[in-house]
Amino acid sequence: MRTVSMLDAPSSARAILDGLKEAGVNLIATLPDINLRDLLKLVETDRDIIHVPLCREEEGIGICTGAHLAGKKCALIMQNGGLYNSVNGIVSTLLHYQIPLLLLIYYAGDVGDRNFSTTGAMTEPVLHALGIRTYILRDPGEAKVLIRRTHVLAQDYRRPVAILLTKDVLGRRSPGE
Amino acid sequence: MFSGGGARENSYGVSQMKRIDCFRAMAEIVGDALVVTGAGGNTVEWSACRPSDGNFRVRTMGLVSSIALGIALGLAKRKVIALDGDGSLLMNLCSLPTIANKNPPNLIHIVLDNGAYESSGEIKTATASGSDLVGMAKAAGIKKALWANTIEDFKRAVSEAVKGNTLTFIGAKVELSRAEVPPYPIDEVENKYRFIRYVEKTENIEILRTSLPASYF
Repeated sequence: MRTVSMLDAPSSARAILDGLKEAGVNLIATLPDINLRDLLKLVETDRDIIHVPLCREEEGIGICTGAHLAGKKCALIMQNGGLYNSVNGIVSTLLHYQIPLLLLIYYAGDVGDRNFSTTGAMTEPVLHALGIRTYILRDPGEAKVLIRRTHVLAQDYRRPVAILLTKDVLGRRSPGE
Repeated sequence: MFSGGGARENSYGVSQMKRIDCFRAMAEIVGDALVVTGAGGNTVEWSACRPSDGNFRVRTMGLVSSIALGIALGLAKRKVIALDGDGSLLMNLCSLPTIANKNPPNLIHIVLDNGAYESSGEIKTATASGSDLVGMAKAAGIKKALWANTIEDFKRAVSEAVKGNTLTFIGAKVELSRAEVPPYPIDEVENKYRFIRYVEKTENIEILRTSLPASYF
């Protein structure tokens, strides 16, 4: 595995949110994961962003669809378990109506993570089966450019595009992890 | 189930209306409000009562209220109405606390509660045995949530919500029956484009821009 430019978790979170804002994203729906904590705290307090805290991820698919119809540029931030919760909405709304949406998904169960190996194992296959183009972000230094490009790709493709956020990007909470 | 005409009573003893009569009454007073409808009878009956490019039909069961919330958040000064069903809302009950939390004053969430999965074979939903969707909306934190028991009540409640500036949830018990109306005239992708173009025109904003040039990268 190549060496990544290390940023601490708050700096990585800042880079991701700055990337979203530079891409023109102005509405973000979220559901927490401990690894997304720093990012969601930034989203929650950003005055330029309409933040929609969710109770279940699939409703975020609907909210972002409605906001797209109203002219907003949207992103949905969640864990990969939330991706699974969202599949019907992704299929019968996003794909069926051709709605662009940036999905920022914490890659639980990725190599280097613990406890969610089954969730991790299905993540890329499910995204692949849905025809969702997927990019894995391992280097926080690449966050801004990748977010901007995937946002443009989603608009161009008129479908969701996913970025898998890894622990290397979001920050490790203990040195041994 | 059918008693052969006239008003029937549901499990609360509340008389039921016809959904199409609710829609006919509504259509006179909602102006150019954007209206989001769920799969099944809501979509075709509403479209028959108010044909408009400002109608958006939802195909994912449960997401009517979520999509309406997204539109309401995106267009804070435009009235947005969700025409939900009991089966649909029961599938996405977490939408209620999310809506209450954002509290958009321009959103009107209407549930036509017929106590059944009408389009899926008329099997009963939980509301047929007493689950109270207005009670749930109130408990979720939506302060203005009410049952409308007659067409006049319903029309008044919708009218107040349209004229006012308060998040409103309206429940209406309706008969399990579908009016004879034409099928929905367009497919989903055309519905999307027409709806967006309608919003662009009526709000004087640009939503669908041409792609960035390749040199952007």
